[in-house]
Amino acid sequence: MLNFLKQVGDYAKETAQAAKFIGQGLSVTFDHMKRRPVTVQYPYEKVIPSERYRGRIHFEFDKCIACEVCVRVCPINLPVVDWEFNRETKKKTLNHYSIDFGVCIFCGNCVEYCPTNCLSMTEEYELASYDRHNLNYDNVALGRLPYKVTEDPMVAPMREFAYLPKGAMDPHDLPKGTQRAGRLPKDILAEIEAEEAKKTPANAAAEEKSSS
Amino acid sequence: MTLATLNLAEGVQLVSFGLLGLIMLVGALGVVLLSNIVYSAFLLGLVFISISGLYILLNAGFVAAAQVLVYVGAVNVLILFGIMLVNKQEDFATVKNAWVGKAATGAVCAGLFGLLSTMVLSHPWTISTVPAAGDRAIEVIGQHFFSDYLLPFELASVLLLIALVGAIILARREYLPDTAIPTEEALTLPEKPRELVAAGSRDSL
Amino acid sequence: MTPGIDLQGTFVRALTDLGLPAGAAKTVWIPLPMVLMLIVATVSIFICVWLERKISAAAQQRIGPEYVGPLGALQAVADGVKLIFKADITPAKADPWLFIIGPAIVVIPVFLSFLIVPFGQNLVITDLGIGIFLWIALSSITPIGLLMAGYSSNNKYSLLGGLRAAAQSISYEIPLALAVLAVVMMSNGLSTIDIVNQQSQYGILGWNIWRQPVGFVIFWISALAECERLPFDLPEAEEELVAGYQTEYTGMKFGLFYVGSYVNLMLSALIVSVLYLGGWSFPVPVESITALLGISETAPVVQIVAASLGIVMTMLKAYLLVFLTILLRWTVPRVRIDQLLDLGWKFLLPIALVNLLVTAGLKLTLPGFFGG
Repeated sequence: MLNFLKQVGDYAKETAQAAKFIGQGLSVTFDHMKRRPVTVQYPYEKVIPSERYRGRIHFEFDKCIACEVCVRVCPINLPVVDWEFNRETKKKTLNHYSIDFGVCIFCGNCVEYCPTNCLSMTEEYELASYDRHNLNYDNVALGRLPYKVTEDPMVAPMREFAYLPKGAMDPHDLPKGTQRAGRLPKDILAEIEAEEAKKTPANAAAEEKSSS
Repeated sequence: MTLATLNLAEGVQLVSFGLLGLIMLVGALGVVLLSNIVYSAFLLGLVFISISGLYILLNAGFVAAAQVLVYVGAVNVLILFGIMLVNKQEDFATVKNAWVGKAATGAVCAGLFGLLSTMVLSHPWTISTVPAAGDRAIEVIGQHFFSDYLLPFELASVLLLIALVGAIILARREYLPDTAIPTEEALTLPEKPRELVAAGSRDSL
Repeated sequence: MTPGIDLQGTFVRALTDLGLPAGAAKTVWIPLPMVLMLIVATVSIFICVWLERKISAAAQQRIGPEYVGPLGALQAVADGVKLIFKADITPAKADPWLFIIGPAIVVIPVFLSFLIVPFGQNLVITDLGIGIFLWIALSSITPIGLLMAGYSSNNKYSLLGGLRAAAQSISYEIPLALAVLAVVMMSNGLSTIDIVNQQSQYGILGWNIWRQPVGFVIFWISALAECERLPFDLPEAEEELVAGYQTEYTGMKFGLFYVGSYVNLMLSALIVSVLYLGGWSFPVPVESITALLGISETAPVVQIVAASLGIVMTMLKAYLLVFLTILLRWTVPRVRIDQLLDLGWKFLLPIALVNLLVTAGLKLTLPGFFGG
């Protein structure tokens, strides 16, 4: 009898607990209703990609020395480098270069390891096309300059949350010329450099001399 | 109340009685005659609903709702469940002297039909002078259940209890001997077994 | 209790004054409340769909429909128009007759159940003696339509979804009916009007939710299961069954299922508000307000204000419950089929029985409080 009563008591306790948890869940959901919608009305508004955004890869044909480092560091050996050995100059001449963005995972290894910095990441991400073969970009397509969201007259650029001024939650209708919270990296860099130059002017001068 | 409404009400009653009767008869014939058992089951639901319509015409709203709830909502759905969950197709062996069974069935049906028709013809059909209970029907039914119809009522509840216990025992399978459950052969998929492809076997190329 | 406005009497009298015979006047009156209720039900779909989309969006920090009409209020209309113009496809080897009849059988009982939903003392299509029992009986027809739709689609997901839906409906009907029974026992009648009148004496304190808290929870859970709302939407669980019994349906036949589910939700919310939240009664009884203001209770202005207040209160309570449902939809994950049946048969059913027993006992011991 006592055992049975204990069972009933435990069951009731579990039920109360389940009800409590559902109540907690409801309060969480309810709390979310008060928050700002994160929606970006895409074709009319676009988020400004951050500085280190890894978008479509840009390629500068003239800088490339056809060393194929990009092919070696690529997880799937994706870039196709078509070169010929020029016997007169004893250098490789690049004929074609292509990356298939239908296969690329945008890891950025090629950009990191390129010895001549001829590869770089852009902030372009709208690569949709009707045929997947159109995603195989050749050196001409890779060489096109990316367009900036902020310069598109059809688009209202939206700043990401981390780039909003202090206290602002909504990227819409920000006053012009507002800066994000904290100092910009280039200001910090300039300050550090100025400080170091002040601290050891002699050393710095010496260093500069030796390096030049 | 004037003559116009009375006529309208009577006309509506007559037409709906005719319609309900027609639906019921056609549905019942369909239940018996159709070869697709699922159609039969759905038509049975139609028959039950038209019967409940007849109850409404008789001013017995509660009985009509109970008819819908019990027969359509429970019995018919259970029948449909039974049909849809049991899909074992079996070719029955032809029984010798099958005509005997059919003849016996026919005899029983004819006898029942005869009995019922003699009953219908011999009964002195008079319209009851007691006014219909209408909305008070629930109280009247309850009083009957706990006074003069107590024994049938309790017997029916005991029957249902037995059915309930039986269903639980069947479902739990604890009290059934294990050998009673036939061990079926393992189910096999109708696909071809796939050949294993070695991934990245560069040397074989 | 005040008799409230007698719209029917006034209307018939006005027509007979114009020279119509009384019978004809009554005949003209008969379809009016039905048409009005159909319109109310249809508009409630649009409101429900709009609420569902907007509240879901808010709970997920989205915006939701915005461009169709003010604040996207006409989104449901746009969806409906789209469904009307869609190609109506009957799958090959499907059973064409059952395929057409199925959605109709699902929708018709739901609309019929609006017969008994009261918005005021006289603002109901018919004050049937069997009232709430009619709703229970009618809602038990729906599983047949679901089975029909599932069977006729010639699709295994449809059949499974239909069977699940029917199993769910019939197993949750029992705790639902038992919870209703406890309320009915307290109000000594099945009529929805009686049930509301019995609660409306002491304002908010007299509502059945205080006397039947357990019954309220049981009823609400079962009603959610009957409507196939989200914690219990197994019959159309996308991840498992594509869309359950709706898989093969397109165009307006799918639209019927859609309409049916939202009307059913609205109906359940209305019935909960009638059974447990005092229906059309204001949190403070109208009599005491009129007494406080020193106006006669039977003054025409007071009557009209009270009637409109009743309609608003009923709708408000119902939409509050709809809001709770939508919030619950984004809070609670879907239960498994065995959990669903466990909850229905092993939890709700015994508790509903105990609730009924306790209510009966309390009715005998405290007849003043529990409706003698």
